[in-house]
Amino acid sequence: MEDNPTSWFMRVTVGLLFLFLLAPVLLVFPISFSGDRVLAFPPSSWSLRWYEALLGNSVMMRAFLTSLGLAAVVTVLSLIIAIPASYAIVRLKVRGSEFLFNLFTAPLLLPTIVLGLAILMIFASAGLLATFTGLVIGHLVITLPYALRVLSVSLGNLSLACEEAASSLGAKPLIVFRKVTLPMMAPGIVAATALCFLVSFDEVVITLFLTGPRMTTLPVELFHHVESQADPLVASVSVLLILMTIAVVMIVDRTMGLTKAFVK
Amino acid sequence: MMHQTIKGSGVAAVKDPYLCLEGINKKYGLIEVISNLNLEVRKGELIALLGPSGCGKTTTLRMIAGLITPTAGRIAVGGRDVTRIAPHGRDMGLVFQSYALFPHMTVARNVAFGLEMRGLSRAEIGAKVTRALGMVQLEHLAGRKPRELSGGQQQRVALARALVIEPSILLLDEPLSNLDAKLRDEMRTQIRDIQQQLGITTVFVTHDQVEALSMCDRIVVMKGGLIEQVGTPHEIYEHPATPFVASFVGRTNRIKGVRNADGSIGIGSSLIRSASSVKPGDVMVMVRPHRIRIDWSGTERQGETANRIAASLSRITFVGDVIQYHFDVDGSEFIVEESTIKSQAGHHPGKQAVLSWAVEDTFVFGADQ
Amino acid sequence: MTTATFDLAADVPKRSSAAGIAVVLLLPIALVNAIGFILPVLNLARMSFNEALPGGGIAETLTAANWTGLLQDRFYLDLIVNSVAVSLGITLATLLASYPIALYLHRASGAWRTFLTVLVISPLLTSAVVRTYGWIALLAEQGPVANVIAAMGFQPPRMMFNTTGVVIGLTEILMPYMILSLMAGFGRLDPKVEEAARTLGATPFRTFWRVILPLTLPGIALGCLLCFVLAISSFITPKLMGGGRVFLLATEIYDQAIVTLNWPLAATLSMLVLIIFGAALAVYSRVLRMIDQG
Repeated sequence: MEDNPTSWFMRVTVGLLFLFLLAPVLLVFPISFSGDRVLAFPPSSWSLRWYEALLGNSVMMRAFLTSLGLAAVVTVLSLIIAIPASYAIVRLKVRGSEFLFNLFTAPLLLPTIVLGLAILMIFASAGLLATFTGLVIGHLVITLPYALRVLSVSLGNLSLACEEAASSLGAKPLIVFRKVTLPMMAPGIVAATALCFLVSFDEVVITLFLTGPRMTTLPVELFHHVESQADPLVASVSVLLILMTIAVVMIVDRTMGLTKAFVK
Repeated sequence: MMHQTIKGSGVAAVKDPYLCLEGINKKYGLIEVISNLNLEVRKGELIALLGPSGCGKTTTLRMIAGLITPTAGRIAVGGRDVTRIAPHGRDMGLVFQSYALFPHMTVARNVAFGLEMRGLSRAEIGAKVTRALGMVQLEHLAGRKPRELSGGQQQRVALARALVIEPSILLLDEPLSNLDAKLRDEMRTQIRDIQQQLGITTVFVTHDQVEALSMCDRIVVMKGGLIEQVGTPHEIYEHPATPFVASFVGRTNRIKGVRNADGSIGIGSSLIRSASSVKPGDVMVMVRPHRIRIDWSGTERQGETANRIAASLSRITFVGDVIQYHFDVDGSEFIVEESTIKSQAGHHPGKQAVLSWAVEDTFVFGADQ
Repeated sequence: MTTATFDLAADVPKRSSAAGIAVVLLLPIALVNAIGFILPVLNLARMSFNEALPGGGIAETLTAANWTGLLQDRFYLDLIVNSVAVSLGITLATLLASYPIALYLHRASGAWRTFLTVLVISPLLTSAVVRTYGWIALLAEQGPVANVIAAMGFQPPRMMFNTTGVVIGLTEILMPYMILSLMAGFGRLDPKVEEAARTLGATPFRTFWRVILPLTLPGIALGCLLCFVLAISSFITPKLMGGGRVFLLATEIYDQAIVTLNWPLAATLSMLVLIIFGAALAVYSRVLRMIDQG
């Protein structure tokens, strides 16, 4: 299609559509360096004042730390819960394992607005609203399906022969799991870790229902801030969030590359 | 159902058996994949489970290893009943078709794994690993990861890993099928040498008759979950108990015939004799192609022990080492193989000849077998 | 006792021990699933038949009043129709904006294709709040888009705090989903088919209309289903860009639950969203069947 007149027309169209797709994310970076008091683009002057404002904003900083801790706890718990579950479903093949897999991944099918409301109603009577425990459980509801899916695929792709070889060499089942199955699942575990962390760290809608003035996360705080005033402070927080995401993706890429070289 | 004792001419029961399989049965749901299998293996013996895919040979091996539990029956090693013992408690060395090396461990760590499980000291482990790798000539690759090795090298690591624990029994599941032809020949000799050197009781699963015939002390030919015959390579080849064994091990002509009341067998208008005893009626006659001699002039003198039959040449196939002559005998096809020599006389289709072979080379089976 | 772990078709005694271990391994995830999913959803369904009392109280009586009230109230009927219409509009806009990118990506190859695919996926990893904020900056009254339109000599329209802004924002936010669905569906589009059509004398336009489009219909259907359900249940973008002036199902659910504290009504609206999901799925499978039958 090189010599075709539709070719350059197509290219310009695709270029413009890509611009449309990426514009809102790209725009956040220059705005975060704005020297203006209100949101304007292009900014009339440049400064780091909104990063300073962010560091001085104790609510935002506390929310950031809460998000970080929450994502870490949720990620660790997701792995602790989903690794045995995936083993039971993929390796033990108990009756109805397919049904169980569908049931445990079903929360992803519900719109988060509905799921958030449903959880709110239960957690309100259990006194779990605006508590760290409540947030952890709420996030687990949506991170566990991702973790279970990724880990099950990873385990299902492993040949049984290595585990059989280990047991024939005298390893008891738990040792087979620890010394052979688990290390061979490493790429899946890394992927699940990153996914759970990002999902938890970025979650807004369900979290909105579960947070309160006492306990809030960065995306929720950001949401409330934009709701009341869309100033460049949001841009600096957004940059922080984007950099966080890039960092996680890069770590995964690094370790995945490493583990791939390691295993295959 | 004493199936194999009726059919088999070999010895399923031996003196002082080391590995015993008694009345083994395996069902998956309603499907029976192994039916009443009885087998005894002597200490230090290399025995092959030979058969086409789906014959139950791998299932049998996996039951010996403890990876599958039999539905019924008993497995004993050295007098100890292991039927209900988990694989990790059985002390058996298993080599997989896919090698199943641990991808995240070095060659040395792979070989050391079984020793670590046995709680040996580091010094002991180091010494034994070095010796095991020396046995398969891979000391220099101890620090490599499995993915950095060739197929043949991986195969040898798998063998070293299984042998280093000094298992009571070595189990080999089609260990050579993923290697190329040349390497396969080398590994055959190497495995046999190591087995003889260590005197280790070995069960070898294969679908390759050449492997079974060339390496093993005895062969168990299996088909459809049943043992067809147990015997030495010589017995299996020279005295096949069933038509299946005759055609699965080595090549053979299959010709329809009729056994008469006087013991003679009619093929078309010719009569031949056989040492086999079968009931009168329709029979299947089998003769190995290279055991037949061609008398082109039809005048050669034959002893009393030979079968002679007039035939007409229909086709010639040159296969390099051998030349195949296809003969027609009243509608039945006989294939005869001769080693090639450079100055081969030219024969043309339509030529008449007399085929002859020894009476004891004539296998006759009832048509229902 | 745990040998069953290595046994694909274990016998009866082994099966029971494997089942015992499996129960222990599955207990934690089952617990989270029960507390955070099954119980809340059942409770939500029941709540839609409860009665709201003034001041946020709830009477635990079973009544269909929420449902009948909802279907008789003009405001809510308009809300439902409006939500569905806006979501359909967003779906169509997303499809039009995504199709060229997906087709281009399908034809691209090598590192260039990988790079562009990463560009398409990267917005998915960015919070919806951040991307909505970006749109607020772009579409503001004195923002860059308005400036460009003014520079071209037109009167810039209002694009914030109305449906236009919500549609623009959501279209962009849903594009990655649509592009990925389309690309999955393009798998069956063999470049040789296009070449064949062209060598047979078809113009590019006719090639597209008669060959490419019909072959990519399943991908289009999947992308549209996904974008429609995501649009009708989206909350962040309508809430932030609508400025309280755009009423959609999801924002109404949030307002009823958090602001008005009428949980039974919020529950009823939630169940309604799920019913619309079901309807969309039914339409989708019908469309797929029609495509299959040619």
